[in-house]
Amino acid sequence: MSDFILGPFWNFAVIVFTAGVVGRIAMILMCGLSKDLAAARGSSVTGAVGTVARRFFPRKETVKSNRFHIIAGYMFHIGLLALLFFAAPHVQFLKNHLLGFGWPAMPHWAFILSAEIAFAGLILLWLRRVMHPVTRLLTRLDDHLAAWLTFFAMVTGCLALFESFAGLRVLHILGVELLMIYFPFSNLMHAFTFFLSRGTTGARAGRHGVKA
Amino acid sequence: MSSTTTYEPELDFEKGADVLKRQIDWRVASYFSSCVHCGLCAEACQFYVETGDPRYTPIYKLEPLKKVWRQEYTFFGKMAKALGITKPLSEKDFVDWEDLVYDSCTLCARCSMVCPVGNDIAYMIRKEREGFSAAGFAPDELKGATKRAVETGSPMGVTWKALSAQIKHIERETGLPVPVDVKGAEYLGLLSSLEIMGFPEYISSLTRILHQAGVSWTLSSETFEATNSGIQIGDSKVAAELVERVLKVATDLEVSNIISPECGHAYTAIRWESANLIGKPIPFRVVHIVELLDELKRNGRISTTGKTDVKLTFHDPCNLVRKGGVVEEPRRLLNSVASDFVEMKQHGVMNWCCGGGGGVSANDRASGLRLAAFNIKKRQLDELGVNTLVTACANCRNILEEGIEHNEMDVEVVGLTELIAEYLDPPEAGESDSTS
Amino acid sequence: MNKSRPKSARALIWAGVLLLLCTVTLPVLPYIWASDSEDITSLDTVENNPRANFWRNVRTGAAGYSAVGGPEANVLINNAGQNWRQFRMNLLAPYGSYLMGAVLFSIAAFYALRGPIRHRSDEPKELLLRFSVYQRVVHWFTAILFWILALTGLILLYGRLVLIPLFGSKGFALTASASKEAHNLFGPIFIVALFMLVIEYARDNFYRKGDLSWLIKGGGMLGKHASAGRFNFGEKIWFWLVLLLGTIISFSGIILDFANLNFDRNTLGLAHVLHGIAAILFISFSFGHIYLGTIGTKGTLRGMTTGYVEQTWAELHHDRWQPDDEMTPETGPLPAAQNE
Repeated sequence: MSDFILGPFWNFAVIVFTAGVVGRIAMILMCGLSKDLAAARGSSVTGAVGTVARRFFPRKETVKSNRFHIIAGYMFHIGLLALLFFAAPHVQFLKNHLLGFGWPAMPHWAFILSAEIAFAGLILLWLRRVMHPVTRLLTRLDDHLAAWLTFFAMVTGCLALFESFAGLRVLHILGVELLMIYFPFSNLMHAFTFFLSRGTTGARAGRHGVKA
Repeated sequence: MSSTTTYEPELDFEKGADVLKRQIDWRVASYFSSCVHCGLCAEACQFYVETGDPRYTPIYKLEPLKKVWRQEYTFFGKMAKALGITKPLSEKDFVDWEDLVYDSCTLCARCSMVCPVGNDIAYMIRKEREGFSAAGFAPDELKGATKRAVETGSPMGVTWKALSAQIKHIERETGLPVPVDVKGAEYLGLLSSLEIMGFPEYISSLTRILHQAGVSWTLSSETFEATNSGIQIGDSKVAAELVERVLKVATDLEVSNIISPECGHAYTAIRWESANLIGKPIPFRVVHIVELLDELKRNGRISTTGKTDVKLTFHDPCNLVRKGGVVEEPRRLLNSVASDFVEMKQHGVMNWCCGGGGGVSANDRASGLRLAAFNIKKRQLDELGVNTLVTACANCRNILEEGIEHNEMDVEVVGLTELIAEYLDPPEAGESDSTS
Repeated sequence: MNKSRPKSARALIWAGVLLLLCTVTLPVLPYIWASDSEDITSLDTVENNPRANFWRNVRTGAAGYSAVGGPEANVLINNAGQNWRQFRMNLLAPYGSYLMGAVLFSIAAFYALRGPIRHRSDEPKELLLRFSVYQRVVHWFTAILFWILALTGLILLYGRLVLIPLFGSKGFALTASASKEAHNLFGPIFIVALFMLVIEYARDNFYRKGDLSWLIKGGGMLGKHASAGRFNFGEKIWFWLVLLLGTIISFSGIILDFANLNFDRNTLGLAHVLHGIAAILFISFSFGHIYLGTIGTKGTLRGMTTGYVEQTWAELHHDRWQPDDEMTPETGPLPAAQNE
């Protein structure tokens, strides 16, 4: 079973992930968009770039009412990104199997800290999702699956921390594979499509002379 | 006024579903793909903030459109629909969502400013309304206004006869001619029915200011209405028809500029949507009156004397700030005639709507909701302790006055153009100044 | 206002059950892998493990010079270690299991004899907001982490006795390792959760007049109605126990989690003893809390899932409680819209 997970299933997951993400984005772009014929008031390029950058931060007017959400959201995303790209085994993996070059990994204590911040953020966000009337109304099975698969991949990764047992490492790989396979079919896609949605909003707003 | 088409909406689910499907462009597809159901847009919507009802969460108002997207454009959505796990779009969706789409959304686009993945939710609601109106699911008053706009040229049924009576009165009052059907004028002036009937001071102010500035302008007796019910109800065909009427008289009168009156959605309709509605660029420059006044003021073509020392604040019409980027212009104008201009805490692109945009003002069954939404405006005004509120949209003004009256507040609402006219340099000898 | 339990509340409860199920089954998962993971077989050939041979050698009494300056670096064999081991295996493990078993048994017996406490349920039901979104989130945040830690902790303490006989030692090696990592990882997050919980709930948990008479009346379980505010004295005692036991567990846990920070053996031993005792007590009390919050008292759980309790429930259990108006804007009105 380990061989299957590390071999063919891994390849399958990579193919589904890559083809799925590319396909999803292609499908979005193929929906077409009619050209804006109104005379521009500003630049759409500046607008697009600006909005993509600005939406990494909440508007100050909205901070007070969304404080909890903003903090938990940052905790999860920053923690996860740190784990994803700066955990020593991940850097090693990317270097050996994907990119051919590496970068300095974070020290062990930083790894633990990132993991703790990411876990706290993920659990808090999920709890808010099931507790808050608004998110409870919006939430679908997809949102739960995405949260749970992410949690599973993260938790197995941490259990395999010292790679003391190959079995735990295999479990982590399995978690990641499931996440990768599910990814293109779910709103986990926002990790890629946020460029599109922010960009197109920003471009339109930019044309209209609005700082969105 | 001759009418070229009629508007007879009927219940037609198939047509609505079909139109809804055709609304999905890559912008919408990317928005739905990015949405993680975080619910942050809720706090940006005054209908949610003031009622606490989660149904008023902006993205939730888009469920019907999202359902179409999910079932037509996503893998699992298609599969679930094919296997009969999820129900396809049905008439019930239109029934259940009509109030969310029309009563609890003013298309103010405040939610579009806060979404972390950048979704322009108001853009999608505007599109969703296309499907709803095609299916015949829209508030009766909006349908009526649209019918009147198409058939009489005015959503309120205001005729040229009524306007010409007003013009005569204004000419007497200002001692200035109001140019009508002047071929070759530089600017075509447009009005909203609400101004003609409720705030004619706008027309006299406009006359006096443009006279001082020496701007050659004209009204058209054929088409004077700037508002566009097609945009509000979400019917591009009607919207295009109404826009074409304006463009026709602009062409006939050989003007090069069109002035949008103090109205938010009229500005959006003519400035931003017109070219897209008729499918080709328009050969006219479109400006909102506030933009024009600012331009004239900065070019030294209009000059004012004195300033009011009354403490006042400015209510940004959503269409100006969030759809047109007109943020600084009204502030420059205000500061030139007011010495104690204070800002509300949330202003400019993050202003709170009056509660009556996007056709909500015409919608009777939404009046309770509208007044609830006004509470946020009330708090903003109470915080500042001002008794004068300036705005640049007749619809905002009407709704603000409604809310102020309902809450028995001591606040006067003034149009910006009017305020500027009030401080205009004294007229040349022989002309009387009767406004202030 | 809603005839049956709202759909969303049901979904929440199921989500909770699912969560609990998953946390319980997660540690068992490694057994599946153990059956075909090759490196585990190395445990059978312990003789080839150089580390084991080294320690076997040390145990024979070989002594040496140490250049390491850390605490006890020059002490090769320390009796305290053996004492600690004795305590853990001969006292903590058995008596801990007796205590937890006894608590579970008493709860079962009480349930069999007395059954659940029910409030009058009127139609239509008037709902009151008992817990805000944030209060519920913080409660479940603490609860989830508590159970992750309790389960992994129990595996570490009892795994040898219970899991090895059941599943064999191969799988236990993985489970124990995974449990240890999870326990060390989630521990610090629990401290944060505890902190958030205490800050949020402290206000209503101070002793107020009337609490003692609630206690004398046995919290209403002796037949007479016992009057209480937003929290009754029992809930308040549980709150302060959580704070006390949580603090002990947190401090001792930090010492154990960062054992590499030059703590000496006695400190570590003491930390472990305190950690174990506090944890067993904490788990035992939590059984009672869970029983009373779920099947023991009808209508209580929904307060912590949807935030709302029935008016008649409040009259019976918390008649002196004045629902807080300032809490309402945060969560909005009654969740009527979702209950279709």
